Amino acid sequence: MILRQDLGFFLLLAAGVLIFTLAASPASWYIYPVLLALAGIVLYVTRTGKDRVFYILCAAQPLVIALSAVLAGAGLFAVWMLAGIVLAELGMLASGNDWLRYAAFCGVTLVIALGIQASNHVLLPLMILIGLIALFAAVRILRDYRFRKQYTGATP
Amino acid sequence: MRIKRCTQGISLLVILLFACAIILDDLAILLAGSTLLAGLFGLWYSFDRRFRQAVASVTVARSLERAVVRTGTTLRVKTAITLQVPDHMEVSVSEIIPAGVVVQDGKTIASSGTTAAPVTWKLAYRITPVVHGTMHFSGITLVAQDTFFESDIALAAEQFRGPVLSVQPRGLFEPSRRGLSAGNLEIEKMAVLSALGVRSLREYYAGDDLRRIDWKMTAKHNKLFVREYAGIMNLPPLIIVDLPWRGAPYPGDEFARMVAAVAGQVEHSTTMNHFSTVLLISGPNILHVIIEEKDLQRSLSELREWMHPVERTSHFYRMTDRSDLRRRIRALEIPSDRIPDSSVEKFLGSLKKQYLSSLQVQQTPAFNSQVARTFSTLNVDEVYLFSLLIGDSSHLHQLIRQAKTMKLRVHVRAPKGLDLVSFPVSPGLSGADTVEAFA
Repeated sequence: MILRQDLGFFLLLAAGVLIFTLAASPASWYIYPVLLALAGIVLYVTRTGKDRVFYILCAAQPLVIALSAVLAGAGLFAVWMLAGIVLAELGMLASGNDWLRYAAFCGVTLVIALGIQASNHVLLPLMILIGLIALFAAVRILRDYRFRKQYTGATP
Repeated sequence: MRIKRCTQGISLLVILLFACAIILDDLAILLAGSTLLAGLFGLWYSFDRRFRQAVASVTVARSLERAVVRTGTTLRVKTAITLQVPDHMEVSVSEIIPAGVVVQDGKTIASSGTTAAPVTWKLAYRITPVVHGTMHFSGITLVAQDTFFESDIALAAEQFRGPVLSVQPRGLFEPSRRGLSAGNLEIEKMAVLSALGVRSLREYYAGDDLRRIDWKMTAKHNKLFVREYAGIMNLPPLIIVDLPWRGAPYPGDEFARMVAAVAGQVEHSTTMNHFSTVLLISGPNILHVIIEEKDLQRSLSELREWMHPVERTSHFYRMTDRSDLRRRIRALEIPSDRIPDSSVEKFLGSLKKQYLSSLQVQQTPAFNSQVARTFSTLNVDEVYLFSLLIGDSSHLHQLIRQAKTMKLRVHVRAPKGLDLVSFPVSPGLSGADTVEAFA
């Protein structure tokens, strides 16, 4: 029997949450299995639904926040597993290139997490993040403009 | 680029998380929001890259049935589009139809599945230019989408354009005659004389008609030879189908019945006379002629292609010609002692004056000449005219008149529900030899 990729990632997430709960023994330990169960229920209920990705992301955010609040690494692990579930759901983990893209996403989020950890307040990292995103978007829009100019018949 | 519903939801979630992070000054919420945002931008980057790959791989090859046509002529366009469909992306392409052109039928849009593969779409459709001028086929529109984003681009660069269609104008009226000299009319086509043919020659057998002996052959070969003449066969009828206008409602069931009746007539003609000739018109527009087609399947295939409501470039509305006007003027010439009232006499005089002034400027419709030219090239002695008799029937009147001028018998086939005995629906049909309902 071949395990479905999204189920595999969910089982990994469940194992990680279990290990975290046992190892860290936080005061409100019961909250993590509950939030994991919530994500699992949504994953199961929406298995044939449209826009499933959105519901999974919404349902898993409380777990990510709860884990990050105690340990940023645990929250990051939850984000990676969540990304795995979503990409598997979209069939975007089929080839070697897909796995490379997934690894690139994990790398970028690791850098973001390290940046956030290095800061004491929200505003500065948020400003930096928004600035970077705006720069990235501006470059893409400029490239898109030149690309369209080339193919829509305008003089380059 | 447009973001789809799922992406809109995720964007809203990111904004909410960032708002909560700022209000609560919570780094955990910021981490959740930031990673979501990073994921979204990653998906955007990936979509954009695949979209560019798809666009860069597009090749278009387009061909026209003819490069120069007249307004109202229907011609076939074939376009082959090749592209590489990227992973996890659905791509669809559609032709950019030039302005002033109506698509009659066929396929102008094609879509792919989500599997990455090189695909070649072959679009074939028929167009009718409704205005004259130069028509440029300016490319294709490509639309690509995945779960999160959708983007389109009008590919109108040099490699996606062409060819150019030149549409010549077609007047509604025939130009005045030129080239008349000493009782002769110059015509711009070759004329062929034909005579009674001899099918074959064979040796004489006892009992053969002596009048059939070919004396020249007999003298040459020193043996009796007799001529075998070609047999006589009834000429097949010309089947004329008057297709309804696409811009007006028409009874679908009657149309289906007419299609079946036409197919039956074509089959009968092909079986009995070895070939069939079909003229397709729609109002005063000649669309297509199937001339002496011997293959029944080919005839039916062409009929299937054409038998649907079409766009009309010219319309008639109570179109009269000079002979109609003269007839009306003659009808008004009533002796004054038979006119009861002076006001009636005044009215008739005024009406006559109107007719006479119309007669001065009345021109021959181009449709009449086209019909006459078509009839003159065909060997027929009777015409079967199929029509739904919707709207104006002036063109039928003109058509029947042309047929009668050429001494052709005209049989009109019309829908069953109409009162076909007294011709109240269309006075234009009064010249027909028979008017019957579809079989």
